Amino acid sequence: MEKTIVPMASTYKPKSSPKKRRQWLTGYLMILPNFLGFFIFMLAPIIATVGLGFTEWDLVNNPQWIGLANYKNLFGDRIFWLSFRKTIWFTLLNVPIQSFLALLIAVLLNRKLKALNLFRTLFIIPWICMSVAVGLTWTWLFNTQFGYINHVLTSLGMERIGWLTSDKLALYAVIFVNVWQYLGWHIILLLAGLQIVPQELYEAATVDGANNWMKFWKITIPMISPIFFYDLVVNMIMTLQIFDLPFAMTNGGPGNATRVFNLYLYQKGFSFLQMGEACSMGVILFGLIMVATFFVFKFLGSRVNYEM
Amino acid sequence: MENKVTYKRLLLYLMIIGILFLYLFPLLWQLSTSLKESDEVFSGYNLIPKKVTWSNYKIAWSQFNVKKYLVNTIFVSGLIMVGTIICCSMAGYAFGQLKFPGRDFLFFLYLGTMMVPGAVTLIPSYYIILRLNMANSFAGLVLPFFFGSAFGTFLLRQFYMTLPKDLYEAATIDGAGSFQIWLKVMFPLSKPAVATLGVMTLVQHWNSLLWPLVITQSPSLKVLAVGLSDFRLFRNIQWNSLMAAVMIAILPMLIILFFAQKFFVKGIQFSGVNR
Repeated sequence: MEKTIVPMASTYKPKSSPKKRRQWLTGYLMILPNFLGFFIFMLAPIIATVGLGFTEWDLVNNPQWIGLANYKNLFGDRIFWLSFRKTIWFTLLNVPIQSFLALLIAVLLNRKLKALNLFRTLFIIPWICMSVAVGLTWTWLFNTQFGYINHVLTSLGMERIGWLTSDKLALYAVIFVNVWQYLGWHIILLLAGLQIVPQELYEAATVDGANNWMKFWKITIPMISPIFFYDLVVNMIMTLQIFDLPFAMTNGGPGNATRVFNLYLYQKGFSFLQMGEACSMGVILFGLIMVATFFVFKFLGSRVNYEM
Repeated sequence: MENKVTYKRLLLYLMIIGILFLYLFPLLWQLSTSLKESDEVFSGYNLIPKKVTWSNYKIAWSQFNVKKYLVNTIFVSGLIMVGTIICCSMAGYAFGQLKFPGRDFLFFLYLGTMMVPGAVTLIPSYYIILRLNMANSFAGLVLPFFFGSAFGTFLLRQFYMTLPKDLYEAATIDGAGSFQIWLKVMFPLSKPAVATLGVMTLVQHWNSLLWPLVITQSPSLKVLAVGLSDFRLFRNIQWNSLMAAVMIAILPMLIILFFAQKFFVKGIQFSGVNR
């Protein structure tokens, strides 16, 4: 993320006096609790996962070094590839649809509206609800016999559809719910980007006779491209890690129709107790995120307009 | 001219309200189902129940064990929030206002891990909790998150960096040490940033599923997300009672959202605008 510029506090100059030393000590002591948690539950586990990925380990006996055997097993595992593909497909559909829909609604909301705060609040409601809860709500809406969605279909003279029981449709149903749940989050983020676009630009364009459509393409899009790009990247990283919704709605089923990567990883680790393989899956997921981020930066990053 | 403007405005409002109604319809339907009697659940499709009943909430509260889950969730996410606020405030202040060797290196280490997926740390963290004899306990639910997060420290650091340097200097002249300056002067000033971190942490851990799922087996320790997820594979679900359980699970966060919406919006914007 070379474009992310973090403003740094002025750089430290070595010059020691008792007063400075005391500040050092206070500094270290004040980060200590936070750093301890960070070290024990973040840094050390990251390193441990990489190592454990090369072992066979059932949590009870000591890990046995088996080299690359876990990776070999996974690459020969049909369900591993299936979960890999499902996750990529999930992300490829979710990210563009969600981010573009969010952009459209953000543009609609980007006016001087008296009720803007209320609208914003209402739009983030689904995000604030736990995925398990809204997953169950949507399971009810998608219910084949009594669900509201099939009620709408039948009253339009169509057949009932087994949204979550069909192995062709279940993944799309879960993607749909995911788009719905986090849409508001992206709207808020993009709306913040739109609100910092200087109004004078639009006024000048109006004087030059530009219509709304031209203003949207020539001013809005270039001006918010950095934040929109950021939104796409964050969205992608989050979606590749999807777990809660498929777990709550279908538990990977029917068959393996919604068995996304993290669901399979969880199953490997905590149902089959193949901790070594689960760790190598974690490493692969991280690798996937890095590679995907790299490609997005390479192919989309150059089109982003960072001049304001 | 005047008329045309108000007409357009009205149209805009109608459009937004229409979109919002469609967008929130699933939640309205959830509320509606939770208030219906069983025979109406399977027969009518009206949004307003013909006869409103609160008995589903009673069933969810006691028979579905939601009361226990709710208490556990409040306890766990509340503790994590308090721990995070204290630890991240101290660390954010140290990173943003104090000088000590290795400070910038440590901070970049923090930033570097923010892209690492949770799946990577899951299994070793679980093993650590297991070895600490904290599996299947409240301590195991809380401990890994109690000391705060890299995100929280980042957020607070950015806040403390915006405070003027003179403030620190002035307090030093008055003879206060660095820790005292934080406690007496800077921490009280950081209320908005702390509130943002607080609500974001609370929601994250209120809703969190994977870690509690892995750590707890006993029904008496389950949080709402885990307890409710048990229902997903049931046959013959009592949908009205389940929707009541779901309402209870999300209602506390909804109330907090309506009182603290400003801080949620700030929390979402933080990551995006802070570039």
